[in-house]
Amino acid sequence: MALQEVTKAFLRRFKAPQVSSQRVWASQRRHASTETGLPETEELEESSFLQGEGPAQHEIERFDPAGVAKRRNRKLPPSRYRFRSPRYYRGPLHPHQPPKPSEPSSREFAPGPFSLPRLEQTYHDTLASDFMTMAYAHYPPGFSPPQKGERLRSWVGDSPYFKNRPRRGPRGGDTLRLLRKRVTFRNLPRLERVTLHTMSSDAIDNPGALHVAGMVLQAITSVRAEAHKVTKSLAPFGLRAGMYLSLTCELRGEDMYHFLSKLVDVVMPKIKDWPGVKGSSGDSSGNIGLGLRAADVALFPEVEVNYDMYPPKLIPGCHIVIHTTATTDTDARLLLTQVGIPFYGKLVG
Amino acid sequence: MRPPSTALLRAFSPIWRTESLPWTARGCLAQQTAPFSSAEQRMAREKGRLKTDMRITVIRYHMKHPLTPRPLRFSRNRALRHWTIHRAWRLYQSKLRQSRQLELERQYNSMASACEALRLIDSHGLTAEERSRLGEPEVSEGGREVGRLYRIAMRKDEVWKGVPIEYAKIQTDSPPRDGWNHAWTK
Repeated sequence: MALQEVTKAFLRRFKAPQVSSQRVWASQRRHASTETGLPETEELEESSFLQGEGPAQHEIERFDPAGVAKRRNRKLPPSRYRFRSPRYYRGPLHPHQPPKPSEPSSREFAPGPFSLPRLEQTYHDTLASDFMTMAYAHYPPGFSPPQKGERLRSWVGDSPYFKNRPRRGPRGGDTLRLLRKRVTFRNLPRLERVTLHTMSSDAIDNPGALHVAGMVLQAITSVRAEAHKVTKSLAPFGLRAGMYLSLTCELRGEDMYHFLSKLVDVVMPKIKDWPGVKGSSGDSSGNIGLGLRAADVALFPEVEVNYDMYPPKLIPGCHIVIHTTATTDTDARLLLTQVGIPFYGKLVG
Repeated sequence: MRPPSTALLRAFSPIWRTESLPWTARGCLAQQTAPFSSAEQRMAREKGRLKTDMRITVIRYHMKHPLTPRPLRFSRNRALRHWTIHRAWRLYQSKLRQSRQLELERQYNSMASACEALRLIDSHGLTAEERSRLGEPEVSEGGREVGRLYRIAMRKDEVWKGVPIEYAKIQTDSPPRDGWNHAWTK
């Protein structure tokens, strides 16, 4: 009898208590804006598209657009008139406004996405929930984490000059670090964008180097590289302000996932004697950088299959910065190890 | 690299030509032999001049972007079709996002309730309340007995070092039978 009681009690432990869970997860509550109980379609206008049961049988039989068009003896008004997107944006007050980028008539319209990257699927299926499990911190009911002091301290004292004075900067430096919030299902870090950067000093005398570098970057990322000017002259290196020496590519979404999976699955295993990304890499706000030498860039399949197209000396090395939505490097690094990027040395941050 | 030869073109040109062409066009029938400009030859003769790699020229040619294409213009039906598909896609995406979020929320809540249960039980799987109901001797709340499994579960050592490299495999439709080749050496 007692044993049964014990077993039952043990099993009961694994059910969520009603009242306490409400109190504990008050911070995780859904709000009216994200309410999922009501189907969204109820807020929409009446529409046969949503509520209707579909056409009746006789209507289906009667439906014959080709025949109607053939029998019609008058011409329809031409459908050639479409809204023309203005070539330049002339500000919000101009009467001629460009359409949304999702409209095909927009000049910014880009078709796609054309693929569902495997890395993205893996993230949603496996990596996100595993990250949540690994980083889970339990707050018992009634527990509130201790409050920390002011991030920017106010000036306390008798001096009349302290009144309305801007707050003191953060302790130990002048950077205000990002706050790390407790990891919940709402704020799981994800990959946001990847920036590739390359600077070729060969381009000082030979602008062809920049063109080759741009072509290589475009080939491996499928994004057009953007050239940047030198901002400051440096005589010892022969740099003059205004020279175009560096290129960046910014990858988001589909391109980013494809690039990262190429990098992790194809390129990184082939790099010789590579220990991994340095553990101290990162800007302490969740963005991790790594560098590839020219020989490593040549390992990308797009460059490798067409290696003869590029002058081999001009294939550039590049810096890759992986931006995540994590606010600390530790979280970002955990996410990137899940993706498959190895780290070595002391893990800082 | 030399410019492509026009020998093939010449081979396929007709042998006999009508003389009905205007006399101004007759000169064009002869092959142009002399270069139009002497700059190329002079540049080739210069000693100190760097020669541009032909590959760079080709890359430049292809990088030179043509004019921005004009915006698409769809006819009535195609525009409607596009609009419908676009709306459907957005709806599908938002539902997918919602379902993912709910799934994560479910997992999180069950993790939380499991941890809460572990926190309260002692080594016999009983909470303090059940102990008193069964007439068992009391165990102190802060003692080592209660919540031992919870404390073990909350330990985070080695977690922030990351997952083992064997974990980090992108999912595939047809994964290999032996997942990781441990015997591999360089």
